[in-house]
Amino acid sequence: MSGDAPFDPGLQPERTLLAWRRTALALGVAAVAAAAFAYLAAALRYRRTHAALTAAARLPGDGAALAAVAATAAMFALGGLCYVGAHVLR
Amino acid sequence: MGRSDLQGDSRRSRTTHRFPRSVYGDGAEPDPRFSLANERTFLAWIRTSLALLAAGVALEALELPMESAARAVASVLFVLLSLLAAVQAWVGWMRTERSMRLGRALPGPTLGIVVTAGVCLGIIVVAAGFLLR
Repeated sequence: MSGDAPFDPGLQPERTLLAWRRTALALGVAAVAAAAFAYLAAALRYRRTHAALTAAARLPGDGAALAAVAATAAMFALGGLCYVGAHVLR
Repeated sequence: MGRSDLQGDSRRSRTTHRFPRSVYGDGAEPDPRFSLANERTFLAWIRTSLALLAAGVALEALELPMESAARAVASVLFVLLSLLAAVQAWVGWMRTERSMRLGRALPGPTLGIVVTAGVCLGIIVVAAGFLLR
């Protein structure tokens, strides 16, 4: 690769590489943000649960957060299926 | 049950709506420790789902030195099991919570058995893929 002249004077392939790189970084940032959100939400859920249990011996939450997490995991699995399927059929 | 309990229950059911209604629409509040145990089981299934997804994607992404048909079968199988584990997480949590509210026996591990058998099969396929190469 070293010493090669670029294929295109407009550097289209190289600019596309950079676009993929910043997309990959954005995906990483989104993943970190999602992890941080889940971590904080867990702390808030615990605090709410503890307060309700000590006050009324009753759980405050419901299944909404669980449904969201399960739907996210199912979407990950479907995405993985697309990736693996494309890889296998290639 | 005292009169104040009845009033408390009717007020709660009017003012708050807990999702999903198929779980919370019926029965009585179980011991909170049991609900928390059910929630932890749900989270364990989610972690299982993510681990199976990682296994299935890694088999293909890393292009491990194994027979390619076996690798394809195993990776598709693990990813499908990941989807099944996510379904089991939610469905199992719902059925268990509902059973506890109604004072019924807990549901059996229906999809859990399928996932377990699938993981055993996947391990055999991966081992065969390494040996056949």
